[in-house]
Amino acid sequence: MYIHYHNCIFPQQTALPGGLDTLLPADGNQLKAIEPSYDGVPPGLLRRMGKAVRMGTGTALPLLKDLRPDGIIIGTANGGMEDCIRFLNQIIDYDEGMLTPGNFVQSTPNAIAGQLGLMTRNQCYNITHVHRGLSFEQALLDAAMLSMEHPHRNYLVGAVDEIADYNYNIDLLGGWYKKHPQQNKDLYEANSPGSIAGEGAVMLVVNGQPEEAVARLRAIRSWHGTNPDDARTNIEAFLQQYTDGNIPLLITGENGDNRLLPYYETCEKLLPGSAVGRFKHMSGEYPTAAGIALWLTCRLFEGEALPHHFYKKGKENTAGPVLIYNTYKGEQHSLILLSKK
Amino acid sequence: MSRILITGIGAFSAIGDNVAANRQALISGQSGIRTLSNFPSRYAGSLPCGEITRSTDELKQSSGIDDPGVTRTSLIALQALREAITDAGLTPEQLRSSDTALINASTVGGMCLTDELYHDANNDGLAGSPFLSSYDNASVTLFLGQHLRIGGIQNTINTACSSSANAILYGARLLRHGFARRVIVGGADSLAKFTINGFKALHILSANPCTPFDAGRTGLNLGEAGAYLVLEREEDCHDKKTYAHCAGYGNSNDSYHPSSISDEGEGPFLCMQRALEAAQLTAGDIDAINAHGTATENNDETESRAMIRLFGTPPPFLSTKAYTGHTLGAAGALEAVFSILQLQYQESYPALRFNEPIVSTGLIPSASYRSLPVTHIMSNSFGFGGNCSSLIFSAV
Amino acid sequence: MEKEQLKQQLKEQIIKFLNLTNVKPEDIKDDEPLFGEGLGLDSIDSIELIVLLSREYGINIQDPKEGRKILVNIDTMVDYIEQHRTK
Repeated sequence: MYIHYHNCIFPQQTALPGGLDTLLPADGNQLKAIEPSYDGVPPGLLRRMGKAVRMGTGTALPLLKDLRPDGIIIGTANGGMEDCIRFLNQIIDYDEGMLTPGNFVQSTPNAIAGQLGLMTRNQCYNITHVHRGLSFEQALLDAAMLSMEHPHRNYLVGAVDEIADYNYNIDLLGGWYKKHPQQNKDLYEANSPGSIAGEGAVMLVVNGQPEEAVARLRAIRSWHGTNPDDARTNIEAFLQQYTDGNIPLLITGENGDNRLLPYYETCEKLLPGSAVGRFKHMSGEYPTAAGIALWLTCRLFEGEALPHHFYKKGKENTAGPVLIYNTYKGEQHSLILLSKK
Repeated sequence: MSRILITGIGAFSAIGDNVAANRQALISGQSGIRTLSNFPSRYAGSLPCGEITRSTDELKQSSGIDDPGVTRTSLIALQALREAITDAGLTPEQLRSSDTALINASTVGGMCLTDELYHDANNDGLAGSPFLSSYDNASVTLFLGQHLRIGGIQNTINTACSSSANAILYGARLLRHGFARRVIVGGADSLAKFTINGFKALHILSANPCTPFDAGRTGLNLGEAGAYLVLEREEDCHDKKTYAHCAGYGNSNDSYHPSSISDEGEGPFLCMQRALEAAQLTAGDIDAINAHGTATENNDETESRAMIRLFGTPPPFLSTKAYTGHTLGAAGALEAVFSILQLQYQESYPALRFNEPIVSTGLIPSASYRSLPVTHIMSNSFGFGGNCSSLIFSAV
Repeated sequence: MEKEQLKQQLKEQIIKFLNLTNVKPEDIKDDEPLFGEGLGLDSIDSIELIVLLSREYGINIQDPKEGRKILVNIDTMVDYIEQHRTK
């Protein structure tokens, strides 16, 4: 599968080249997306959208101006969490009385893909993968299968999740965010459990044709379970099956949670010659954050230098294969291998 | 290309604890719609629902699960899934193998804990709640995957009411592409304050047992269920018992409105047409249809129009939601199981509570239990967000 | 309450309730249709407005079809509110 176009809304400046050089700070352990003015979205529709739907459609629509994809494939762990909780609050606050249905309709995770189908009058394949920390990876696999089934067709594939006060609170209670104030520029020095919260949307247009592609998805693998030996076995098997061991750049999902660091260090040790990059100090942690790593790789392949704060070890700007390893809460893991051609 | 065969089925719904009990209820026209009773709600004691009568504690006991963080949705799912994998004769080694995938669907997931989520989300004194990782749709899949030690790809799909039809479609494609050698596909949802109040707010819940395709229909009844199928490639089946061949599937978007289907049923028409194309069949080849048939004003009329447009005179059809209620994320898989039963036993079940046809379409669903020659059967599922899917199962 | 005052209040409530962020009360004409043309509201909005009438004015409309006759424009809504309000 080949990636041809990409767009992203996340907590850093994405519009201009070099915009990533200045790291924008987190506020209260949350990195919130910088939302554009959404000029292309009709106000009549915009008024009903929660942030996830807004970010998702706002990221996708610029890619769909002159292009009608033959499928809309979205990965999102929670979809419209904000609306979901607003409706939940209505149920309790009005004791199951007369409730407004708008939040309920927008709360279903498939609202992003559905709204995109509606706005672009697209009656093609439309699906939403919601497998928590592997939602985006499953969307990618779906798009990869479609690209093999119909190489000449274009597919929109995306990753979207939002911070809502409520899922932030639940994950905070669960110990997944740091309890002390944490600046994102020092995220990796914290040596404590938990990360900082983030959000964002990445949209890609893909097909099975190599001509003029930005990047090629060579392989993807996912697994479940907290056993570090499983991680090692899976990474070793993946490297053996799909690479010749030459991976100039490894991007990991390191997120400042010292409980998850051993997984990433295992991967780094298996690739001692690779430069290592990290991105969650820019995006924050969220279930579909791997999309950001993929988007950064596309920018790298297009010749943009990634900022110095991205690199943990070494510096690599050539066009060799890039491996992305991410784990969500140590329970869900994925490897994504990309190359320029 | 190798055919995708169904080697195991499992179902747990308001009309039965297992596939055999579900079939018995369908044959005898026994509806599972009764008054809501299993959880405290303003609508307990009044609202008709397709409720599984056993309490969550009873389900925990019968499944041998004592983890306090396990939700009703997961328990319902586990029972149906165990039936399917036992039926297919999958061994623990096979389940652990990296080429066994689990594709699950849920729209309620852990939201059956509406009140608990409210407390946890507002952090009002329930810290240490066992449910902190149980609220999303994926929690059901992750529970099943962990409990059964599934070694291969796991995924959760949510396309609202067509979710588990898409889980079947996705699983079949994983097999075709060689990403798995056997897939367990299906879905589960339990009744929840969240969905009851959501459908209530949209004014599409009926105060009476629902009447699909009837001119006087007044809306849907919600239900709860779990249903799973095991799919394997024909070359791996050897002399295994097989039920049917997953011949075709179609997915479309109606792109009309967030919560209702376009007047002419464009999305439903397209997904049925695409399923026929994928199965290399024509409309005339379809012998029976398990319709989406929610009994809302909008669905039954638009689905009827789409069927007429595609089939002219549609083959015998009915909506089994009059038996089970609308089981949301489980509906596609549950109705796939019912369709496979129709194929296996060459029979048709009675449509319940149908009095007179919708004036503009005149379609009349199957009236009574009878034997019916079925080689190809279609099952429809349409959901919010315009997500429409249609599946075709054929005799092996 | 004076009719004009009630109209102004209702318009403000509609804007807030339906999150019509780019609409001001003076943009909504009293006799302009709320649905289809005009404000361009849809079936979900009509249910939201029925809930508005219930929460703000204590008017309970059970049948959404009945609602369509009342929710034609600001004038019809205000007339109905004046006759049926319980708060």
